[in-house]
Amino acid sequence: MRDIIAAPFPGLDLRRQYGHHQSLAIRAGGLIFCSGMVAIHPETGEREHGTVTTEAHRIFENLKLLLDSAGSSLDRLVQVHAMIYDRIEYDVLNRVYCQYVPNAPPARTVMSVQIEAGFKVMLDVIAAA
Amino acid sequence: MTDRLSRTVIEPINPKLNVSRNANLPHSPGIRIGEYVFLSGMGPVDPVTGGRNLGPIAEQIRQTLRNMAHMLESAGSGLDRIVKINVVLADIRDYDEMNRVWREFFPEEPPARTTCALQLSNGNGVEIECIALSGA
Amino acid sequence: MALKREAIEPENPALNASRNFNLPHSPGIRAGEFIFLSGMVAVDPVAGERAPGTVAAETRQILTNMAHLLESAGSTLAQVVKVNVLIYSMLEYDNMNAVYREFFPVDPPARTVCGVQLSGGSKVEIECVALA
Repeated sequence: MRDIIAAPFPGLDLRRQYGHHQSLAIRAGGLIFCSGMVAIHPETGEREHGTVTTEAHRIFENLKLLLDSAGSSLDRLVQVHAMIYDRIEYDVLNRVYCQYVPNAPPARTVMSVQIEAGFKVMLDVIAAA
Repeated sequence: MTDRLSRTVIEPINPKLNVSRNANLPHSPGIRIGEYVFLSGMGPVDPVTGGRNLGPIAEQIRQTLRNMAHMLESAGSGLDRIVKINVVLADIRDYDEMNRVWREFFPEEPPARTTCALQLSNGNGVEIECIALSGA
Repeated sequence: MALKREAIEPENPALNASRNFNLPHSPGIRAGEFIFLSGMVAVDPVAGERAPGTVAAETRQILTNMAHLLESAGSTLAQVVKVNVLIYSMLEYDNMNAVYREFFPVDPPARTVCGVQLSGGSKVEIECVALA
């Protein structure tokens, strides 16, 4: 059984906002698989390009909204692919990152990739339901 | 509604391989959730010194996979219980060499795998993460 | 009792890229409730050779082959929960997306798309997790 998790706020629905053909998140087998999250305003869906710091904060806040609405939470994250536009800002990302998962943080791999729309950060996560 | 799966942190028995702690990084070496184990990306760390073993790519891959075996065995799992593995190479031209080494560690029914080339830190030639079944 | 894991294979042997290209991975692994697929590039289902082309053509071939592989294992595209699309350049995102939507018409899986360097000159590589 797989359940679609609806966007708790309209801006997070990237399918409606930008035509990205994806559901925001899917629950299956006790896990929640989330689409890559970028820095968009959760109400308006507006892209909020910024620094690695501001983008990472927005992303984590969005993930918190999403996971809380699905009965999970940031401390139930199990795996994160932390995508960054350039590894040179790795330390900057870490400074924000550890504020949101201070205890027993999830498994993580940092990947320097090209992210959509010129964003600097994207988090691709799996959480426990 | 089904019971929530329990989530626990996995650590390697050899503390030199606990890069999360030793480098003060915001990740756990691994997370066990229900029947699965998710490992953080691992590189060619020397299990005696805790430093990086940078040498030919074949040796880096062997070291990384030996470390991964240790990590999984610390959690009651093993390389043969890996279901999905992701390999990041600093240089895509190392792909063939990576495949040659790979068979030494996954002789039968190798895990599903995806490989790509990305910028890595500290001169590492390889980083590997996986999802495995937890042990009995 | 520990869960078992087993390798899955496509019924069409031409699509067994692991075997045909002598690569040390399984096309997919079933374990518990999930099936984890190896990343797939565009392969011709008759000749079994790599079929490079435009992003659109590669996306179409990959997803067609993915459907076959999942069906061989008793699953389907509709059971996919998460897809990761690796593309050689994000500039071609729309070309990929336009074809992609044909394969997941209802309640598409969660997805992450990023630009990376792929092996063998492929423009697109797609992996997924599906319910068994």
